[in-house]
Amino acid sequence: MVSEEEVRHLARLVRLDVTEEEIPPLQKHFNEILEYFHSLGNMDLDGLDPYDPEESPSCPLRNDEVRLWGQRDAALEAAPEREGDYFKVPRIVGEVGKEDE
Amino acid sequence: MNEFSSAAETASRIRNGDITASAVIEETLRVIEEKEKDLNALITFLREEALQEAKELDRRIAAGEADGPLLGVPVVVKDNMCTKGIKTTCGSRILERWKPPYDAWVVEKLREAGAILVGKSNMDEFAMGSSTEHSAYGPASNPWDIERVTGGSSGGSAASVSAGYVPVALGSDTGGSIRQPAAFCGVFGMKPTYGLVSRFGLVAFASSLDQIGPFARNVEDLALMLSVISEHDPRDATCVGADRPDYLAAAERSSLAGVKVGVVREFLTAAVEPEISKVVLDTAAAMKEAGASLVDVKLPSAGKAGLPCYYILAPAEASSNLARYDGIRYGKREEACDLMELYFKTRGSGFGKEVKRRILTGTYVLSSGYYDAYYLRALKVRRLICMEFESAFEKADLILMPTAPSLPFRKGELVDDPLQMYMSDVFTLPVNLAGLPGLSMCVGRSGKGLPLGVQLVAPQWQESLILKCGRAVEDAFGPAPVAGRGGM
Repeated sequence: MVSEEEVRHLARLVRLDVTEEEIPPLQKHFNEILEYFHSLGNMDLDGLDPYDPEESPSCPLRNDEVRLWGQRDAALEAAPEREGDYFKVPRIVGEVGKEDE
Repeated sequence: MNEFSSAAETASRIRNGDITASAVIEETLRVIEEKEKDLNALITFLREEALQEAKELDRRIAAGEADGPLLGVPVVVKDNMCTKGIKTTCGSRILERWKPPYDAWVVEKLREAGAILVGKSNMDEFAMGSSTEHSAYGPASNPWDIERVTGGSSGGSAASVSAGYVPVALGSDTGGSIRQPAAFCGVFGMKPTYGLVSRFGLVAFASSLDQIGPFARNVEDLALMLSVISEHDPRDATCVGADRPDYLAAAERSSLAGVKVGVVREFLTAAVEPEISKVVLDTAAAMKEAGASLVDVKLPSAGKAGLPCYYILAPAEASSNLARYDGIRYGKREEACDLMELYFKTRGSGFGKEVKRRILTGTYVLSSGYYDAYYLRALKVRRLICMEFESAFEKADLILMPTAPSLPFRKGELVDDPLQMYMSDVFTLPVNLAGLPGLSMCVGRSGKGLPLGVQLVAPQWQESLILKCGRAVEDAFGPAPVAGRGGM
């Protein structure tokens, strides 16, 4: 069983604000999907190599060479906040006592 | 030229000078304006852009400078494919104003072929959903009954073709997101073999499963679209280098003599809508009539374990792919006093309910201590499902099964019951897990007038065989009609 506290912990790991009202349905969902997966417990999977490469037509690799891409400014332009040629972010060091620091 | 015309016919009439691209686009815009209020199939409607492009195309045609297999054909593309300078929201608030600086490979190919983009279609946020209700831009409605869902996640593309906005559209399919809405909206939709079509510029959901494919109302148009988009692209390292066969030739009428069609009888149980089971058997009979022989095949693990396996693997990949939405380089950003708060608030308000569910599930199954029990085990189940398909294809050349177990459900009916919603993909997602090509075809209507779909599945790279068999099925049951306008 996944606990409410585990759901909160996971949300912190993936940097996701989750409200208290969102927690119980998420917990319920987790337990349903994991229980469903556990129902496969009796399947015989011994000896199966999940990384066994299947024969397949080849995917040619391209040469690893530098190419100029003319859209640098368009990419910067898409930033929520930009300063000159930089993406601008708020201060990186937060207040003392916050959980992730 | 009207909303019933095929892409092939439209391009050919424009090429011959029977009609202008501008006239075709004006008619398209008229149909969209008439129906879009009810359907909400498009997130972005490119009205002025399409008119302008059509005018320019007519000028180039008159000067002998333009031709292509989709000359002047109006198309709709799912809103998770990048369009240069045109909003690409992925159905999410987090990308609500994002305009990519480049076109996806498939969009480039459509433009080169002469197609005119008239809209970006509605979808479940980040392609996570089976009803297009998980769109930040409101649900799309089924053209056959606007109280019901379109299916998803490519619901807007399916509805656009079904309602006669456009003859062809593109969707993406990670667990059934082309085929299930094709069945729900009564059109044809094809997921090619993993690696046939470049994913360059497709917003990633689950990278080992995602594949782009076409919607159409007949098999010839599917073949036409596939031939345009399926070339090798060096920018997608999983896109195979081999030459593609002549898909249009494969879609021509031919006998099915020598083709062994495998019917999965265990999929026609009480859990499947009886009217759907019936059309699967009717389709088998029609294929036999066209010269095929029928054999029984079994896919026990695919049917039983495919769904839980998929809902471990796809969220795991999604949790990693969606880590990039952090409010720094593009997309939405919430005001915050430090970087950590910015991440939490941006992602918390930018992602919807279903996306949060999947990110968290994926993170859980990948976390240390649970990796072997869930992720690794699911990978093994995936391998088992691949092997099961391989042995089924020793007996049969092609497999016939339902696309979805149910008819299109009512809006709101399953939106708070994710597991029940996931059941909608029970027959489509094993095909993604095995990387196989699948085609969903509308072959009839239920007593209530709702579309009924069946699915053809072939070994990897056998799109030609699917198109050949699909053509025989179309000859027996007719092309997909425009919703509410005769046919079948």
